[in-house]
Amino acid sequence: MTRSALQVTNLSIRFGGLVAVADVDLTLNPSEVLCIIGPNGAGKSTLFNLISGIYRPSSGKVELDGRDITGWPAHRIAAAGIARTFQSSRLFNDLTLVDNVVIGMHTRTRSGVLDALLRPRKARAELTEAAERATELIRSISPHLYARRHMLAGALPQADRRRLEIARALASEPKVIMLDEPSSGMDDRDTDALMADVRRVMAERPGLSFLIIEHDMRLVAALPDRVAVIDYGRKIADGQFAEVRLMPRVQEAYLGQKAAQHA
Amino acid sequence: MANHELSLAQPRPATGPDLAIVAGVQLGGAALLGAFLLGEKTAVVVALLAVMGAIFALLQLRPGLEERIVSAFRAQRRPALALGVGIVLAYPFFMQGSSYALHLLVIALLYSVLALALNFQLGSANIPNFATGASYGIGAYTSALLALNFGVSFWLTLPVAAVVATIFGFLLGFPSMRTRESYLALVTIAFGIVVHQLLNNFSWTGGPNGLVGIPAPTIFGHSFAQPIEVLGFRLPSQANFYYLSAALVALSILSAKRLHDSRVGLAWNALRADPLAARCQGIDVVWYKMLAFGVDAFLAAFAGTIYAFYVSYISPDNFTFLVSVTIMTMVIVGGMDNTLGVILGAFLLTLLPEKLRIFADYRLLFVGVIVILFLILRPQGLFPQRPRHYGGPQ
Ligand SMILES: Nc1ncnc2c1ncn2[C@@H]1O[C@H](COP(=O)(O)OP(=O)(O)OP(=O)(O)O)[C@@H](O)[C@H]1O
Ligand SMILES: [Mg+2]
Repeated sequence: MTRSALQVTNLSIRFGGLVAVADVDLTLNPSEVLCIIGPNGAGKSTLFNLISGIYRPSSGKVELDGRDITGWPAHRIAAAGIARTFQSSRLFNDLTLVDNVVIGMHTRTRSGVLDALLRPRKARAELTEAAERATELIRSISPHLYARRHMLAGALPQADRRRLEIARALASEPKVIMLDEPSSGMDDRDTDALMADVRRVMAERPGLSFLIIEHDMRLVAALPDRVAVIDYGRKIADGQFAEVRLMPRVQEAYLGQKAAQHA
Repeated sequence: MANHELSLAQPRPATGPDLAIVAGVQLGGAALLGAFLLGEKTAVVVALLAVMGAIFALLQLRPGLEERIVSAFRAQRRPALALGVGIVLAYPFFMQGSSYALHLLVIALLYSVLALALNFQLGSANIPNFATGASYGIGAYTSALLALNFGVSFWLTLPVAAVVATIFGFLLGFPSMRTRESYLALVTIAFGIVVHQLLNNFSWTGGPNGLVGIPAPTIFGHSFAQPIEVLGFRLPSQANFYYLSAALVALSILSAKRLHDSRVGLAWNALRADPLAARCQGIDVVWYKMLAFGVDAFLAAFAGTIYAFYVSYISPDNFTFLVSVTIMTMVIVGGMDNTLGVILGAFLLTLLPEKLRIFADYRLLFVGVIVILFLILRPQGLFPQRPRHYGGPQ
């Protein structure tokens, strides 16, 4: 039996009376892309916040590579190998693109205060090397970003912000990357480029897995190996997109919404 | 290749104009400061201020000018550094033996250290700390008590006071584990007030009377209370402390630069921009906040020690909440996360009230007006933060 990259068991969180995530089980295998879909407010982003340690679960378990990381602080979970992006991108706006990606390497670099003060040569060499790798990474993601690498991140248009966030996530050499609605604010061409990026990155990094929250059904149909559907905090389906989309419960979750829209 | 490109130096125009710009800016700045220090009539001082204001208006209107100056300094780093050191060393000789001018310089330099210390927190990491004055006081009292009660030499009290203040700094940063940003600011205010009150009420700190008769430091048999005599020149005794404070400023600048251009500086910047995203990059926010408090206290204590031995008499009123607010103002006015800007802010806010005695009774009002004006007119400070560049061209 192969060990799953990420294993979520019975995960729940309640905010006062609201159970935002309820008993969710999720398995993400190495080198797999799993898409999470579901109506607005279903609890998808909250699930990410639980996995990445921003919220502490009320109950349940999260394991990364067989190691129990439930309740760890966010910075330790990042160091353990889970990187993520945010639904409304959160870049370090007043820093350059290169700085943003170098910060993504925080857990892969070592120098502390004493190194910086007393062994500046070593600290500086490490950082320069990180900056070179960051530059290379930005170039491999997009020549367009590369040309702007010394600009401040705050000046980037939306689609580029998403790309940079992905580059920053990759910089930490994670085992699992979680993308929260990466295609929002992108047109079809950008979305195609995004899918190509994900495929290429996966080909270059064997073992790397993606967990992607998406609303764009074109992407959901084409990219992932599997799809999980969340509704009212519960997982209601998990499997191939072709099968999942035909399940009555899933149709209800979505159609209910659509019907409401039509009415 | 990235390698290649990062190390490749941009083809530069002839060095002549660059050198001229560097020399002009440094000598011009020094001359302006000198005229300001020695000017006695309020009218002269106001005229000099107008010149300074005009320079900044020009920089504001012509951003290209600032870029040009910065690139000249970058291209001529060594000559610029050599000239700067030369100016600092020679400066007291141009003060016409005025011990008052030298005194002002010492105080301005010590405040520069304090402002640089706070800049690690406020500028780099956006952590408001209203207790830098308290760390300054802890440093001053620790070294004064050691010298008075145990006869410890000045040079030994320096590191001890710094370590003691750093421990307090870390303790102060400790609540950052639990409290949110705005509450943390309140905690630092409370800390500053508590320290002030304790210094006032303990008997072993001399209560409100403070500590008197702190002995002047000596080095190689030369007492800092003695004038310096070299090459037939005779500098007032304040010159000793001028050189000492200038050395401390140099050390602070070096530390600031090294930390800024390091993984630590980046982590602080990340936490300033977005603490939540910083956590998700693996940055231990609590640790980096405490670290900022520690570094701030460490440098502030150095300044405190020099201050105590310089004036030889300290009391709790030297380290009030107002001192902390003044230091914050210096950072905001000068420019967050810009070393030169912060030093300029420190000089301006130390010298202006001294020179414009009319404001003496309205110090707080004066500080308030300056802050509000700056927040409106130039919210990024005199010299705002500049993007990092990793050894290569932009
Ligand atoms: N910190 C919080 N406190 C209280 N309620 C919260 C909190 N975070 C999320 N919720 C609630 O949890 C539910 C799930 O929100 P979540 O953001 O996870 O939805 P989502 O599936 O990501 O939706 P969308 O597709 O709109 O992004 C919502 O009802 C939301 O209001
Ligand atoms: Mg969401």
